[in-house]
Amino acid sequence: MSTVGILASDGSNRQKVVLTATLFMGLAHIIYFRQYLKGAIYALLEVIFIIFIPTIVRRISSLIILGEPQPDLPIMQRDNSMFMLIDGVITIIIIAIFFVIYYLSVKDATHEYHDYCINHGEYKSNRSSFANLLGKAFPVVGLAPSIGLVVFFVLVPLLFSAAVAFTNYASPGHIPPGNTVDWVGSENFTSLFGGSSEWTSAFIRVAIWTLTWATAATVTCYFGGLLMAVVLHESKILIKPFFRTIFILPYAVPAVVSMLVWQNLLNGTFGIINRTLIEIGVMSTPIPWLSDASLVKFVVVAINLWAGFPYFMLLSMGTMTAISADVYEAAKIDGASKFQVFRRISLPLVLYQTMPLIIMSFTHNVNNFGAIFFLTGGGPTAADSTTSGAGATDILVTWIYKLTINLQQYKYAAVIAVLIFVVLAPFAIWNFSRTKSYREGEL
Amino acid sequence: MSKIKNFYRYLNTTIVMIFLCAITFLVIYPLVYTVSGALSPGRTMATLNIVPFANGITFEHYTYLFTTTPYWSWFRNTFVIAISTSAMTILVASMGAYVFSRFRFPVKKQMLMALLVLQIFPSFVGMVAIYVILLRIGGLDTLWGLVLIYVAGNVPYNVWLVKSYMDTIPRALDEAARIDGASHFRTFSTIILPVAKPIITFLAIVSFTAPWMDFIFPKLVLRSADKQTLAIGLFNFVTDRKNEFSNFTAGALLVAIPFVIFFIITQNILVTSMSGSAVKE
Repeated sequence: MSTVGILASDGSNRQKVVLTATLFMGLAHIIYFRQYLKGAIYALLEVIFIIFIPTIVRRISSLIILGEPQPDLPIMQRDNSMFMLIDGVITIIIIAIFFVIYYLSVKDATHEYHDYCINHGEYKSNRSSFANLLGKAFPVVGLAPSIGLVVFFVLVPLLFSAAVAFTNYASPGHIPPGNTVDWVGSENFTSLFGGSSEWTSAFIRVAIWTLTWATAATVTCYFGGLLMAVVLHESKILIKPFFRTIFILPYAVPAVVSMLVWQNLLNGTFGIINRTLIEIGVMSTPIPWLSDASLVKFVVVAINLWAGFPYFMLLSMGTMTAISADVYEAAKIDGASKFQVFRRISLPLVLYQTMPLIIMSFTHNVNNFGAIFFLTGGGPTAADSTTSGAGATDILVTWIYKLTINLQQYKYAAVIAVLIFVVLAPFAIWNFSRTKSYREGEL
Repeated sequence: MSKIKNFYRYLNTTIVMIFLCAITFLVIYPLVYTVSGALSPGRTMATLNIVPFANGITFEHYTYLFTTTPYWSWFRNTFVIAISTSAMTILVASMGAYVFSRFRFPVKKQMLMALLVLQIFPSFVGMVAIYVILLRIGGLDTLWGLVLIYVAGNVPYNVWLVKSYMDTIPRALDEAARIDGASHFRTFSTIILPVAKPIITFLAIVSFTAPWMDFIFPKLVLRSADKQTLAIGLFNFVTDRKNEFSNFTAGALLVAIPFVIFFIITQNILVTSMSGSAVKE
């Protein structure tokens, strides 16, 4: 079946293989290794790429210019900067993917050469190579939907956001298709970080509140949940499952529903809570739960505790029941008191086990749109709200939402999005570096 | 001596009971008014009696929901979206996870890392871009456009979740199948998927429940009245302009009750799966 090939099998032709493979994708596979199918697929990719080069060049130059203002044309025929931007981003990604594949094809060719040398210059039979190809196609087919969706609906939007942060895409002057958008360098960053006093103060205020909120929300929910778990676990009450079921309810009710209900209950003028308190004579004037700029911050954290403690309660209970009975037995024999057992055994073990979830919960709370938006809508208004649109309880993500939907200040929304990403990415990477598969070097 | 000990135990139990009852009160409080709001006469929060159910019980809000508002259409749209999202998520995420768990290929580590970093980013942050992309592929004001967003937005997290689970399945299992001559696809569908059922179930549940109450993307994508979802419809009852608290709670209750029952039944499975990927490491 096998024939002796045209390359030396002592490894001396490596450079030749690399050169041929780089010259045209798949060329080395066809002329050296007789892998016609694979080589043809590679070559086809490159041919397609070359055919599209004019389009690619046009897209990239549009990306650089972002369209010329054409006031004399009807609106729909004018250059649409946003289409140009997004097409440009997609084009760049396609170019990147193409070159990664190119690189991999060269690497693949050297692999083939390696095998070829080991086989003393004999070709692998075509059949095994074809089966090989099918085997290799499975991961490609399996991954394609995930990667495709992530690229077009996650990565492109992200890069697009990052790009918008460097443009003047904002109402009123630069909204396509009526007008074009231009690159402005780091102008938006400077005006948010000190250039424009109103935007800067709004940004600092919202950023500080976001961090305060995320920390407070995470800590209260975690320890609230832990406390409930301990009380339920240690107490000898017969109807424990009853309480446990009751305490899960806030977690089971969708956040939109519970937060909007709370918003109505806490309403300053007609809310049930104020009316009840006045009716039973605790006070005579209504408490402005959601309209006082400082009180409302405690209220959102408290209501979030209501909604968030069950998750950590269930989690801690699960961990506690998983602790081996032997450990408790040993502690008992050594004469440890109940409190000592809790302090020295249950608590450290539970803390250790649930610690990674605190980080996850923190990043979740930084992005916890529902807890803020449906409860307070970001309100009440703060000093800079007329310009910035950010209320006293707005966190960065709800602010992004308002900047995008209500104010059409896309440029600032994009800057904030980029910022959240820069701040949160290290947390994610840190969590990643702790995973088992990473530490054991399986990847 | 034992008398004193008994007394302390009694006191202890009493304090714990009082504490638990106090928490129960706080937990139940808004839920009682949700039910009360749905079944009491009067439309707004202001007319709701401070004593739950004190004004009698009526089903007029449900009559209103089903006759005057397109509640049924909201429900149907949301259901279609949720079912499609769930099915597509399972398909996409389980295949991706299988490849990541069982194959070695170039740039795998970089890809996994990228997925992890992308996962922390709430997908609505890029909503302007998503809007433009949907506009270009004709997905605006369609239910499938919304499904695509939901599936794509959760792919990074879900792939990780399922991959972590599949990593714990012994490789010997699928290697045996491979030696017996099963193709990759067969191994995946007949060996791995059945073993990974718990995490697939979890994924199905989570991706089915999430779209019910999402608000941002339906608002961005759906325009026409006959394509609205439940979250949008319900939210519109309690905007700044009008306050129809009763209609809101009546509609919300219909969704919340199945959710609550379901959660209570599956609480153990859910928590185990949820913590599993993080705690096991």
